[in-house]
Amino acid sequence: MPRSSHCGSPEHSLNRRAFLGATGAASVSLAADMTQLNALASPGVNDALKKTQKRVILLWLAGGASQLETFDPKPGASTGGPFRAIKTDVPGVMISELMPKMAQRMKHTCILRGLDTKNGDHGSAAITMMRGRRNEAAVRYPDLGAVLAREMGRADSKVPDYVTFYTQTEGRSMAPGDAGFLGARYAPMELTNSNYPEFIKRLADISDLDHKERSDLRELLGKQFVAGRSSETLSSQNEAYERVRGIMASEKLFDVTQEPQKVRDRYGPTQFAEQTLIARRLVEAGVPFVRVGRAWWDSHGQNFETHQEMVPELDHVMATLIDDLKDRGMLDDVMIVTLSEFGRTPSINASLGRDHFASAWSSTITGCGIKGGSVYGKTDDKGNKVVAEQVDAGSLFATIYEALGINPEKNYYVGSRPVPLVNPGIQAIKQVLK
Amino acid sequence: MRLRLLFTTALCAFTSITVSAADLPPASKPIPQVIDQYIDAAIAEAGVTPAGQADDATLIRRLTLDLVGRIPTTAEVDEYVKSTDANKRTQLVDRLIASPGFARHQATLFEAMFNPEGNGRGSGAFRQYMVEAVKENKPWDKIFREVVLANESDAKTKGAAEFIRGRLSDADKLTNDVSVSFFGVNVSCAQCHNHPLVHDWTQDHFYGMKMFLARTFDNGGFLGERGYGTIKYKPTKGPERTAKMMFLTGAAIEDPNSKEPTAEEMKKEKEALEKAKAAKTAPPAPKFSARGKLVEVALKDVNADFFAKNIVNRMWHRYFAAGLVNPLDQMHSENQPSHPELLAWLARDVAANGYDLKRLTRGLVLSKAYSRGSKYESSPPDSKLFAVARLKPMTPNQLATSLKIAATDPAAFVGKKPEELEKLLEQAEQAGRGFASLISQPGENFQIGVGEALLFSNGERLTKEFLTDGNGTTLGRAKTMKEPKEVAEFLVKTAYGRAATTDEVNAISGYVEKRKGREAEAYRQVLWALVTSPEFRFSY
Repeated sequence: MPRSSHCGSPEHSLNRRAFLGATGAASVSLAADMTQLNALASPGVNDALKKTQKRVILLWLAGGASQLETFDPKPGASTGGPFRAIKTDVPGVMISELMPKMAQRMKHTCILRGLDTKNGDHGSAAITMMRGRRNEAAVRYPDLGAVLAREMGRADSKVPDYVTFYTQTEGRSMAPGDAGFLGARYAPMELTNSNYPEFIKRLADISDLDHKERSDLRELLGKQFVAGRSSETLSSQNEAYERVRGIMASEKLFDVTQEPQKVRDRYGPTQFAEQTLIARRLVEAGVPFVRVGRAWWDSHGQNFETHQEMVPELDHVMATLIDDLKDRGMLDDVMIVTLSEFGRTPSINASLGRDHFASAWSSTITGCGIKGGSVYGKTDDKGNKVVAEQVDAGSLFATIYEALGINPEKNYYVGSRPVPLVNPGIQAIKQVLK
Repeated sequence: MRLRLLFTTALCAFTSITVSAADLPPASKPIPQVIDQYIDAAIAEAGVTPAGQADDATLIRRLTLDLVGRIPTTAEVDEYVKSTDANKRTQLVDRLIASPGFARHQATLFEAMFNPEGNGRGSGAFRQYMVEAVKENKPWDKIFREVVLANESDAKTKGAAEFIRGRLSDADKLTNDVSVSFFGVNVSCAQCHNHPLVHDWTQDHFYGMKMFLARTFDNGGFLGERGYGTIKYKPTKGPERTAKMMFLTGAAIEDPNSKEPTAEEMKKEKEALEKAKAAKTAPPAPKFSARGKLVEVALKDVNADFFAKNIVNRMWHRYFAAGLVNPLDQMHSENQPSHPELLAWLARDVAANGYDLKRLTRGLVLSKAYSRGSKYESSPPDSKLFAVARLKPMTPNQLATSLKIAATDPAAFVGKKPEELEKLLEQAEQAGRGFASLISQPGENFQIGVGEALLFSNGERLTKEFLTDGNGTTLGRAKTMKEPKEVAEFLVKTAYGRAATTDEVNAISGYVEKRKGREAEAYRQVLWALVTSPEFRFSY
């Protein structure tokens, strides 16, 4: 089944062909695949959208960070734990004392405190929170990264569309990046062993010139075959090979030592900090979506020691990233999201831990079209349930899409079945959009 | 009221495509002739000129890839091209279908069909079951029976039970996967609401199908089935309902035990299950098996239409790269086949001939429609006409095995006894398996990602496992040749199974001459360029 145009009418294929003829052989691969992605990349189409190309860095707090020790503290409550709440630069908004740096930057950030996502199982909750919905028996949905790769990536891009760092071992197999029904074209570049992608470097046994000329020879030899044949898959193969040299040239983006020492010092020496800095380098170069996974939040025992150690790192890295993007004038175009598969129970267990809790937890969105300083959602005094402005995974995703200028009701097609970006009837939270 | 009306219309539409047997060509007519009769008629009606027939070298490549999952050796190509035997195509098809490679390759395809998420690498037991099933040409209805009845106490069919076993924790998925695999009907939309677009499918259908499957459970490592159990569901409108076993056609099954058991019965059952567990045997089968009823009702009279059309459509898709109905899981009244009479005839034929899939396969690939060329210089006609052959991206196994064959000195395949040759080819397949696991299984709307291009461009495995130049390899043989032109011709022939064009010879020898003194490296790069280009990556 060719994807081609949505309705598949003959007019579309006619135009496609005319376009092909007009622009010559060089753009065969571009023209033969008129997905939304390529339509965006082709000249004259939707310039406005192209100009304001948005990008996203997702800080994925794997295992489930505690909302009570971060963005929704309950000091003094029996469930509150030992840490205080502190004032922020937004009057009336308090966050945990473990986040003093973010407290000075809340004017850029929106807190969603009313997440009720119903699922406290690591594996399936990770799937839900990366996609904005559960997979169905018959539909494997693309995750946030794959959707953004499809919506904001460019066919001829010299950088990857979707990069995900997840080097810690805890929970890694539960939350792999997944393009779902969008397929291999939008699959992530996954970095699990090092900060350096696989196969991005030329092998030692071939010179750079040979590598390049070999690829030219490949293209030349393929010409005869491609003439008179058209298929989406055929075009995708050519596109993929056309991108190889560009992506190899982006190798240095992954090399954190390319960054001035001063900048590296600002972020700090931890793995999470380095990967976040690399993420900033990537989005600066046009990568639409980068996820930085930071695991070990699953604090069933000794929740407070865990968070005392980990929250300050998150605080520092997130604050530095905001400053860095702001200094570079990128905060209006780059969105930072903090998200986990779920939060943690208000009740403190016998091991002084907090367990999985999906009924009332928090996420943050910073930058792009999000109203900085806003707080949406309210939990009760002990943090046991959402009492106002509840948010589920779907409306969180609708909000992210809307802020990025993507219509959440836009349809993809799985066979003949239209599949909107978020499930039907789900709305963005208008109150936090600029 | 309006809904009711639409629903009635939909049923009428469905009836209209259930073509009356009297209008169809006689059952005795050979499959290829019937295919060409209908395909050609539609092409003529559209006023389209179809692509000409593919040449011999192309056809043997296509047939070998489709039937046994690899490219032909150059010796096989030469022999086929040279032969003047009028029956050579039929002989080739029969030879390939009879070869062990057919069972292995078809089993891999069935495995990917049954477990699309497993990237073609599911449990060994299911694959082994499918290999044996294809080998002995097990009728498709028998495979259906063995998969759905899932008898684990018979070693011969134990592998088939993996299908259900792998879905035990998710009865919704099991329901939909059974329905998709065997009936071409995706009922998942109807799980939460009546299907918004297709009035054939209501929530009653989804839960009706689920009732056949939801009583299955695991008892100490053995599949069991309860003789009772109900499913209640809340329709989008109205009060809660209790589901009734119901097939897709609306045929309902009266279940004498639909009531819940008493505490006494439960206790007795529990004891029996514990006993079976302790004895490490399968739990006692229920008097009334819901899964048994599903098999019965699905194959009965007109109900079997779904079953027969689904397998025809899937096999058609396997060889023509698109179904007569697309997508394959959307067989319903509002998604008409491109050739309704042809589908009806083939479905009748396969059912009348004991669901013999080898016979169906043979019929499909011997049609003229199958052997059309894949090139079309002007604007190609509507793909639904099957007037031009479609490109098929190779599956991971096809690609890896073919790479291994292209990298092997063609002389290694010459002058071998058939068993020896078969063994070499199986070794090539084995050698490619590891690499195959790095490649994506093509599905609907398949697109090749940059990951694959990076793997081929910079991955060590391609160089180390395939592009070596020792004795017995293509590159080793190339090193013994004097002239770059000779090497160019040799490499193109080995990779593509056809003679090189002048342009290709010039481009390649030019490339090699630029690398004087390090020809071996140059040859490796040329072979890389040949096997990464689309002519190698696709079946065309």
